[in-house]
Amino acid sequence: MAQCTLSRWACVNVPALPLQLLLQRYPTWRHEPVAVVTDDRPQGTITWVNGQARRAGIVRGMRYATGVCLAPRLRAGVISPTEVTTSVEMLSVRLHGLTPGVESSGLTPGLLWLDATGVSHRHGSMEAWAHAVHASIHASGFQATVVVGYSRAGVTVLAKTRCGVLVVADAAAERAAVLHVPVQKLDLDPSYAEALAALGISTVEEFLRLPVAGLYERFGSELVVLHHQLTGRRWEPLQPIPPTIPLQQGIEYEVPETDRTRLLFSCKTVLNGVCPTLAARHAAITALHFDYALDNRTHLTVSIRPAAPTLDGRELLELVRLRLETLSLSAGVTTLTVTVEDMPATEEQLRLFQEVERRDLAVANQALARVRAIFGDDAVRRLRPREGHLPEARWTWEPLTSVVRPQPQVVTIGPLIRRILLRPSLLPSPPRIQREAGWMPLGPEAGHMVHLVGPDVVSGGWWRREIHRDYYFAETARGDLLWLFYDRRRRQWFLHGRVE
Amino acid sequence: MSVYVPLWCKSHYSFLEGTCAPDTLVEEAYRLGLPSLALTDRDGVYGIVRAHMQARTVGTQLLTGAQVTVSDGSSLLLLAQDRRGYAHLCRLLTTGRLRSPKGQSAVTWQEITTHAPGLLALWGGEGSLLAQESEPLSVARLLLDAFGDRLYALLTRHRQANEVPQERHLRTHAARYGLPLVAATEVLYHSPRQRPLQDVLTCIRHHVTLSTAGRRIKPNAEHALLTPEAFTTLFADVPAAVAQTVEVAARCTFSLTELRYRYPVEHLPSGCSPMRWLYELTLAGARQRYPGGIPPAVVTQLETELALIESLDYGGYFLTMHEIVEFCRARGILCQGRGSAANSAVCYCLGITAIDPVRMDLLFERFLSRERAEPPDIDLDIMHTRREEVIQHVYERYGPTHAAMVANVVRYRPRSAVREVGKVLGLPATTLDRLAKLLSHDSVVSTETLRQAGIEAEAPVSGHLLRLTNALLDCPRHLSLHPGGFVLGHEPVNELVPIEPATMPGRTVIQWDKTDLEALGLFKVDLLGLGALTQLDLCLQLLRHHRGITLSLATIPPEDAETFAMIGRSDTVGVFQIESRAQMAMLPRLAPQSLYDLIIEVSIVRPGPIAGGMVHPYLQRRSGVEPVTYPHPALIPVLQKTLGVPLFQEQVMKLAIVAADYTPGEADQLRRDMAAWQRSGRIEQHRERLVTRMIAKGISPAFAEQVFRQIRGFGEYGFPESHAASFALLSYASAYLKCHYPAEFTCALLNAQPMGFYSIATIIEDAKRHGVTIVPIDICHSQWQCTLEPMDAHAWAVRMGLRFVKGLGEKVGDTIITAREACAYRSLADFVHRTRLEAEGVSRLAAAGALTSLEGDRRTALWEGRGLVRRHDETLTLPSRDTTPVFAPLTPDEVITWDHRTTCHSPRGHLLQPLRPFLQAHGLPEARKMGEFPDRTLIRYVGIVITRQRPSTAKGVVFLTLEDETGFVNVVLWPQVFRRHVVLAKTARVLGVTGRLQVQAGVVHLIAKQLWIPRLPNTPTTNASRDFR
Repeated sequence: MAQCTLSRWACVNVPALPLQLLLQRYPTWRHEPVAVVTDDRPQGTITWVNGQARRAGIVRGMRYATGVCLAPRLRAGVISPTEVTTSVEMLSVRLHGLTPGVESSGLTPGLLWLDATGVSHRHGSMEAWAHAVHASIHASGFQATVVVGYSRAGVTVLAKTRCGVLVVADAAAERAAVLHVPVQKLDLDPSYAEALAALGISTVEEFLRLPVAGLYERFGSELVVLHHQLTGRRWEPLQPIPPTIPLQQGIEYEVPETDRTRLLFSCKTVLNGVCPTLAARHAAITALHFDYALDNRTHLTVSIRPAAPTLDGRELLELVRLRLETLSLSAGVTTLTVTVEDMPATEEQLRLFQEVERRDLAVANQALARVRAIFGDDAVRRLRPREGHLPEARWTWEPLTSVVRPQPQVVTIGPLIRRILLRPSLLPSPPRIQREAGWMPLGPEAGHMVHLVGPDVVSGGWWRREIHRDYYFAETARGDLLWLFYDRRRRQWFLHGRVE
Repeated sequence: MSVYVPLWCKSHYSFLEGTCAPDTLVEEAYRLGLPSLALTDRDGVYGIVRAHMQARTVGTQLLTGAQVTVSDGSSLLLLAQDRRGYAHLCRLLTTGRLRSPKGQSAVTWQEITTHAPGLLALWGGEGSLLAQESEPLSVARLLLDAFGDRLYALLTRHRQANEVPQERHLRTHAARYGLPLVAATEVLYHSPRQRPLQDVLTCIRHHVTLSTAGRRIKPNAEHALLTPEAFTTLFADVPAAVAQTVEVAARCTFSLTELRYRYPVEHLPSGCSPMRWLYELTLAGARQRYPGGIPPAVVTQLETELALIESLDYGGYFLTMHEIVEFCRARGILCQGRGSAANSAVCYCLGITAIDPVRMDLLFERFLSRERAEPPDIDLDIMHTRREEVIQHVYERYGPTHAAMVANVVRYRPRSAVREVGKVLGLPATTLDRLAKLLSHDSVVSTETLRQAGIEAEAPVSGHLLRLTNALLDCPRHLSLHPGGFVLGHEPVNELVPIEPATMPGRTVIQWDKTDLEALGLFKVDLLGLGALTQLDLCLQLLRHHRGITLSLATIPPEDAETFAMIGRSDTVGVFQIESRAQMAMLPRLAPQSLYDLIIEVSIVRPGPIAGGMVHPYLQRRSGVEPVTYPHPALIPVLQKTLGVPLFQEQVMKLAIVAADYTPGEADQLRRDMAAWQRSGRIEQHRERLVTRMIAKGISPAFAEQVFRQIRGFGEYGFPESHAASFALLSYASAYLKCHYPAEFTCALLNAQPMGFYSIATIIEDAKRHGVTIVPIDICHSQWQCTLEPMDAHAWAVRMGLRFVKGLGEKVGDTIITAREACAYRSLADFVHRTRLEAEGVSRLAAAGALTSLEGDRRTALWEGRGLVRRHDETLTLPSRDTTPVFAPLTPDEVITWDHRTTCHSPRGHLLQPLRPFLQAHGLPEARKMGEFPDRTLIRYVGIVITRQRPSTAKGVVFLTLEDETGFVNVVLWPQVFRRHVVLAKTARVLGVTGRLQVQAGVVHLIAKQLWIPRLPNTPTTNASRDFR
């Protein structure tokens, strides 16, 4: 990772990022005491709290159950690490537009350092740039503090204690400001914060007066590192995150293009250019996103996903062709932008594709990819059995992403097979008096009902949508064996299957 | 129309399986016209007594049985045909329970066959071996050999698709083995409306939500108790199997009334019968109690009692209690009988109780009478720290098969119910926690509560939560132990009721609770722990050790004027039974001058007299405002002691005897019906009899009606006079010690914690106000417990013990004391080096100020202590590389706050003391000034909430006790004020109150109008209040 020395540092602090995410999820909680917890249970540990909760005496590290004793209206939710990471990545991407040097703190989510060297040339002044950074974060829906100064430790400490935008005039002013910062604002481990508070150490200045060796002896290296950082004895370079630039290529048509073959060949040109580039990067295509700008000023966005990461232009082009055929273009295409999603292609993956089997799963997956390309991503699904009382609740549909080798269990096939309908079909109501005599559930061709056996009762679901079905096996005069039920709530008969 | 007998019914005592109470099942069976019903709870007979009592009431035959879980996962229904079969069933269930983890049971097929005599077996149901395709030949042979024609194939139908093949297999196997078919449905609730609750219970049992429960919950609502028509329709194709249910019922003749219980006969001197030995012991005891000669009245009373005991064959029970009391005496364990036993002269002479019933004119029939259908109940209070010794003695003496503890059924209460139901409905646990915390022990969940918790009350899920939570209330959750109840038997107890392991190692528990035992008339020995006895014992030891004064409960000077003066001032923090807010409010009005006044004080502040409207008339008469009148001259002897107002259970009984010609036994029945009137409504049966006869005796109809109202209001919350007398003795003893030896009293009270009404901070503040010097915890002087240190020739200070340092274990305390006893600590370094404590322990001691003798400044001690701990393992001690920094010294209020944070108290001052100038500047008075204001003055007051109370008899009124450095202020919150400030009232620790003073007869209350959070320069760190119902 590249490292560099900076003459100007900036620090962006998005305070209590998980809490801000939680409040974005539940905007109506803003005026209530709110906490982020590790787990959704009373014993879950509180990791972040808002001002209302803090005023009620709730602090980080408490159990939710304790917190709710202090503030009976305490709202809480869980924010997963993935959500935090995604948000930080999103912020990093935004900030890359304002400076090439962006580093994210691995320890404190929402804390980012920026390379502010030379940015005033582009934005007119350092203040203007700092405000642009602040506005960019604010546009993402987050509250943040931006501090521009002369050292990493200095801007970090100030960013944790101030609000809004601060550009420090010089290094001496920065140091003077830092000395007055309360220790409790440094986001220390609660045990250290408590120990320092017990010793009466309330400001950075007092903290810096403590002997370093004594600190090390009593608290270990963490506080010593902080001490060194604050006194300037320890220096850490910026470790910027490399910007992720998606591979993108565009074609502009002089005359709006309506011919699908020509459009396909445009795509081929793009693919021919992209594939060698990716091959050089040891990457393979996982998805292609096509953005068709149409002559009527609308856009059409289409995505293609191959069965597996690939660099095979023909396979990709075939998928593009299939999708193009199903597209309905309301006007000619003026611009086509192709964005490529890629991932590193490993040798192991390549070997997997080279294996030849009697049942070629790769080919099957390619076929399914073709189906998806034609009918959309949700077109391929499979049934998965699950526990349930209702016949239709005994399985569920789930998207099939890849074919796996079947491992069928040996079952003893009974003499009869019940074919269950995916959706029960409505039957005509039976005569009021005698259900069996005179009732022709399948019409005159099948004849009257001659036997009705049952019922087996399936009822429940009262907590969601109550159902009550009386299931019967029925035989018609023609010999059809039917599986039908009477829905007591709807007062109607349904055919749910046939027995063969 | 043919009838049937439901043979497979499970009540809510099949924990988390059935939904309705056993008595409800019986009642429903009766309503449906069913002549019999079998109660077959899973692996137990927990609900059988309740079902039996209901069956006797409505005249239904109850078959006793259980669904026994077999180790292969299947189960078998067993029904007791006769007493022998019932004993076998209990033994079999005991075997299964004792070998399994708590809450589970499993027996082998071999064990079932061993216990087959007297039992009928119904084999079938879902998961049964008989209903499976494979041949259960080996098991079938075992069962056929053991049960013969008492083995049936159980044909069950619940309109489930999978039952069809199972039934086919079952019928095939039954035909092959020649088993008669008997029809049944598994009854889990009495009405299909209870199906949602059954689903919820199933989910709770499996720890799943409704949406993920899948096939764990039943597929339909076909597990209700069926009408005869519905049952015969369901089994229309097998009428013989339906008829067989009646035949099975006819073969089961066992009833719980057949249980004959023999109390264990003690180890007697040779040639001595139990009664003979009891006579001798009683006589010897009487000679000791009355050294000047046994008064004739006592002799007569003893003769009456002993004759009755002999005729009822209760001698063994008295001998056992005597033996336990003697064991306690021999070991120096303080104990005293409580309850109605104090009405017995025999108990008094045997040393079980301390009250002379003849002198006190107590009613023996309240304790024992021929008409009573139940044995006497002797409760023994034992000092709580040594109760376990007595329990283990009982186990050793009688053996684990002949002694077991009585169960206590843990039931769902609002908080647990809302958590469990909400979890099953898939609501976030944090939301449920918020809701649960808004609920009290006896509340119901309402839409208002949901709204308070921020839950949308109109959402469908909220409706389910509301309905099901309230339906789940009182359902049994699991079994736990009664605080001290034992069942002892001459024959093994496990032939009477199954025994199972308790969670506590070395203890076993029967499947019945005390109500069941009472209903069957079985003996119970109650060994209860009482903190007050521990405190008294500790205090008497301190007096002996430090002042050379030897006192005992019997030799404490009686009727001490100073003591009663102190009691009259409500100066009773820490005094047994009369320290609560309500008692303190009553004391100045009652102004007790004698032990009997104290007996009245103890019993008058009870829900019974309060609800019966007896308190006000009594106080009016006592203060002379109202004349003492009697409705009839015949009642003067009965009511004279209490100025014409009945205050005790015995008086109600005597009143019925004298005024309504009840026999003593009938009067006792009246007392019982009175206790249970809210449930049974039996009290109404007495109304006409009482009122009519009283009128016939010349008592005015108005008074007769008033007496009846009082009796009804008395309920079960009134004390018997004997019980109040036993407690009053202890109250007086502890008041005497507090009055004359406050240092010893405080020291003992602190060492006996946890007990009583107040926190240690309050106890210490009260002691300080009484001039007791409290010396802080110091590792150079403190023992683990609090001790007394001499101040001068007569005065002693209380040195706080190391046990009060939060988070410090007793082992650490022992290490500190042992090292100190070897050689006094010379320095902090010496202390840390020799005790080798962890940094955590040293920091706790430093923060608590316990290292002050070695390092004066707590912050420096914290810094140095941490450093020294790091150098534990240095073999060559090098001088420190740094100089010790200079830390800001703690301010006086910081010192107090640190004390409270680390030890829950401060010997150095009250939390509000440093804030007093600020409070005074804002016109906020201190507690001791409250009495100086005139009645109805509008006051603003700030104090620390130390107790919160919402008595069930107070119709929603909430009482708070606030404290400052000068004393207490009692705050009364009317329901509307409480509702307005519910969150503050429940949660605030430092509270501001605006309200009007109510000053009456020296009792001061602040009637709150508004509650508020005071804006103080520093908000003190307080400990949680003690909250009561």
